[in-house]
Amino acid sequence: MPEITLEHIAHRYSSKQVLEGFTCSFGAGKTTCLLGPSGCGKTTVLRLIAGLEVPLKGSISIDDQIVSKNGKILVPPHQRKTGFIFQDLALWPHFTVFDQIAFGLREWKEKQVSEKVLGILELFGIKDQVKKYPHQLSGGQKQMVAIARSIVLQPEVLLMDEPLANIDVTLKATILRHLQSLREQYRFTMLYVTHDHREAMQTGDSISVMNAGKIEVSGTVQQMRESSNEFVKSFIHL
Amino acid sequence: MKRFLNNIILPVILGLASCSAPSDEVVVYTSVDQVFSEPVLKDFEKETGIRVRAVYDTEETKSTGVMNRLIAEKNNPQCDVFWSGDPVRNGVLLSKGITEPYQSKQTLLIPEHFREKDNHWIGFSARARVLIYNKNLIAADSLPQSIFDFTDPAYKGQFAIANPLFGTTTFHIAALFMKLGDEKAKQWMNNMKANDAVIAASNGDVKKRVMNGELAFGLTDTDDAFEAKKESDNVDYIFLDQQKSSIGTLIMPNAVSLIKNSRNAENGKQLIDYLLSRETEVKLAVSCAQMPLIKGTPVPENVPSLDKIKAMKIDYDKTSNKLEEIQPWLKQWAEK
Amino acid sequence: MGRKIVRHIIRVVPSLLLFLLLGLPLIVLLLQWLGGAERSVLLSFMNRETLLLVGKSLLMACSAALLATFTGTVCAFILYKLRFAFTGIYKLALLLPLLISPYIFAVAWKDGFFWLFGNNAAIYSEVGVILIHTLVFFPLAMLIMGSALSRIDASYEEAGLMVIPFGKMLVKIVLPLIRPALTISFLLILIFSLSDFSVPAFFGERTFTTEIFTQFSALYNFPLAIGQSVLLLFVCLLLMLAETRYLSDAPFFSVSVKGSGSKKYKMRNWQVFLHGLLWLLLILVLLMPVLMLVIQSLSGKALFFSEAWMLMRSAALQSVKLALWSTLLLTSVGLWMAYIKERLGNRLPNLLLLLTFIVPSTVLGIALIKYYNLPVVNFVYGTTAILLLAYLGKFGFIASRIIGNGIRQIPVSLEEAALVMGIPSWKIFVKINLPLLFPSLFAAFVLSFILSLGELGVTMLVYPPGTEQMPMKIFTISANAPQALTSSMTLISLAVTVFFIGVFFLCGKILFKKFRYA
Repeated sequence: MPEITLEHIAHRYSSKQVLEGFTCSFGAGKTTCLLGPSGCGKTTVLRLIAGLEVPLKGSISIDDQIVSKNGKILVPPHQRKTGFIFQDLALWPHFTVFDQIAFGLREWKEKQVSEKVLGILELFGIKDQVKKYPHQLSGGQKQMVAIARSIVLQPEVLLMDEPLANIDVTLKATILRHLQSLREQYRFTMLYVTHDHREAMQTGDSISVMNAGKIEVSGTVQQMRESSNEFVKSFIHL
Repeated sequence: MKRFLNNIILPVILGLASCSAPSDEVVVYTSVDQVFSEPVLKDFEKETGIRVRAVYDTEETKSTGVMNRLIAEKNNPQCDVFWSGDPVRNGVLLSKGITEPYQSKQTLLIPEHFREKDNHWIGFSARARVLIYNKNLIAADSLPQSIFDFTDPAYKGQFAIANPLFGTTTFHIAALFMKLGDEKAKQWMNNMKANDAVIAASNGDVKKRVMNGELAFGLTDTDDAFEAKKESDNVDYIFLDQQKSSIGTLIMPNAVSLIKNSRNAENGKQLIDYLLSRETEVKLAVSCAQMPLIKGTPVPENVPSLDKIKAMKIDYDKTSNKLEEIQPWLKQWAEK
Repeated sequence: MGRKIVRHIIRVVPSLLLFLLLGLPLIVLLLQWLGGAERSVLLSFMNRETLLLVGKSLLMACSAALLATFTGTVCAFILYKLRFAFTGIYKLALLLPLLISPYIFAVAWKDGFFWLFGNNAAIYSEVGVILIHTLVFFPLAMLIMGSALSRIDASYEEAGLMVIPFGKMLVKIVLPLIRPALTISFLLILIFSLSDFSVPAFFGERTFTTEIFTQFSALYNFPLAIGQSVLLLFVCLLLMLAETRYLSDAPFFSVSVKGSGSKKYKMRNWQVFLHGLLWLLLILVLLMPVLMLVIQSLSGKALFFSEAWMLMRSAALQSVKLALWSTLLLTSVGLWMAYIKERLGNRLPNLLLLLTFIVPSTVLGIALIKYYNLPVVNFVYGTTAILLLAYLGKFGFIASRIIGNGIRQIPVSLEEAALVMGIPSWKIFVKINLPLLFPSLFAAFVLSFILSLGELGVTMLVYPPGTEQMPMKIFTISANAPQALTSSMTLISLAVTVFFIGVFFLCGKILFKKFRYA
């Protein structure tokens, strides 16, 4: 269960500075919610940790190992033992549910793969959808497939980029509960990006509130409720 | 991977290699219509076993392809023999230093008048300029008898001449400039234009328009007229300026040149000799009514003989030079 | 680290190769022109008369581009936005004119005019050229606009319809959304029309392109001709730069992967009118030229079909073979160039392809001859390899754009999701990108085939001695053959093209089934 540390990160997209002197760490084995308004740099933080972006300056370490530093990737994304759930879920439209999950298990034997995939689908309650394509699934089922696809590789860190943005409240609660139980079972560190403070309050062990490329405040849910920070107040106590 | 290598890569490499290897072949560029030139070249191939690789082009579309190629390839010629429908283009190549003189027993059979003085080009089988007309639109007895009748108001807007910038028409006009002198020739051209002469895209276009009945008559070459007669019963042709005192009609021989520094010069020479033979002239007489230049070559009945036509007397080389000189003026004339 | 090197190679090598193979010939030609001619000749093309001619040509091309874009947009709207019977058949039929060369159109229309009215003087004019260009090029506009219209999300229109009436919504919402496509359609047709030689030459209209051709072919004045080409190129480039952000990102011919989420309207009262309109267009652009060809084929003194087939057989075979190779090359290079532009951010190769795309054919041909006609590279110049290069120069841009738009429609996250899982790059490309790109690759394949099969301008200048190409053969045979024979040959070549496209579509249908998703 690794701890993730970002130190003095600077990052920009073409001309727009996104992060500047960003320092933060996310506790091992915990669920941290990264909460903030759109465009504040939350997604960028996730992508930096996953290794999909390279920080211009500063260093990122996972479990005391430096993975990126000053414009260089030291550990490529697939060796970081991270899972990433994209905002659009990134389900490959031409793969069946089975193939979505089996695709990452490339070093396994065929029979093992099949067992593993069916097992995880069973766990997620979507075993009967195994032959369907993404466009034949409901919104909730797609979420499940996307999460299962990451979990099956047993990541140590699970990065989630607002994956539940377009889901109704009941379903959202179900999936969140499911995630919690998965976390207890698989014991991974989870970093959950959202702009919805209620979702954050429900999900996180702790919450980091981001604004304009900086962490405003970090703390437990309770601490957030009591925070005197102006931005946090305006953002949470609407 | 190995199969890929064997099936795809190797044949490609071998194919490329075999193309660049020297072989028994001759490369000919021709602006003579493919329908007529191809059979002759095929016969040569059959008789000599030398493979003919040809690039065809058409006079109608200004021979742009082969001429521009020959000029651009000057420093590394691909072509051995250039066979043109008229001597003008050979003249241009000569002035650019692309041709080489060639003389053989065979070339001597051609009358001197139809050869360049150093044999940079040698003529054979000739065509003549004719008037083609549509029988439904004009009676034979009311046709103009001379090219100078084209300015007659009676014919206003009824006839066509191909764009004088291209093809044999250029040559015809240049010959008239030689014959009449610049002043008079320009006057005649302007009068013709004032008489609403239609400027067609090419000789073939003139033929088509007369055949379709779009226009009563027009100037074209014997081979076009010959084809038109085969295709339609409504058309016929006559030679202009055949009276005793008149200037005669223009005769245009095919012209063949050897290209300087060519790769297969020996094969090229053989092909030239073949083209200059009586047999070829007979073939061209049969296929497209071209008139043989070698004395005593038999011709089919419907093909005119040079002996029976009054020919315009001109110096082909000087006419070629004249052509280059008047081209800017012709361009203006055509575009006005 | 290895990944980085591979990326670098993928990025740099094709740019370099493309530059060496196609860019350098043009530069060498330009340098020879600058270095070879005297200064007075260099500037002689810059005079009032030439500039007036450029103006006139531009005006004509603009008119044709405007008309074609307008017609194409109307058709696209009818066929893509209205609920309507037989739209599929109309779409296909209206695209067929793309297979007929402008020259054949011109001939058919001229004869058609004469046949109908007994007089065709009217068509030998600027109006005639504009008319033919409009008819020939509007299917292109239809294709571009159709794809743009069907990609508008229904909700935009519906949101608009809540507050303003239908007509106003079209103007205020749909029109701005399709503006980039309109611009591209206009520019592409403008360039096609500006660089077409055959139609104005046939109608005896003097344009800038015929002028260049005259300099090349009647006066053999290379320096002047090249100078004028440079001017034409300059004009084209200026137009391009004005709208470069649209064109380099041109969404034209993008194949919509997702099922159409666009709104379709019912037009019950207008059905008859709309069918009438489409039939009128069909008659104008397809039935009339084909009918003329058939009439001419049958009205000869004899039937020429067997003779025509004898003449065409070997040329057709060679042409199809070459076109298939060229199509493979175009599609794979197009894919490569599109990938490095869209995913690796290297725009240079695409710009180069854009340049060779707008260079007049004659200039490209001459540049290729001058560059490749060396004993050392005779294995290129003396073989059909030179034709493949020429086609790459002529049509690489279009192939690359079609595929580029396909790539752009694939969310990057699909690749990243696999990357995080540790799937190797080549496998991501093969298993994820390629299948998703299939519709675009297929479109690029078919279009490249059509274009390669019909190319004449450069082919005429560089085809190796002793080989035969279909359009070239028709072109040279038509010079003095009976009209019926020429028309028969044209019909045969049309049939061959249509046959292969039919085959492709059948294959496509089967393959699409395999890749059906969305």
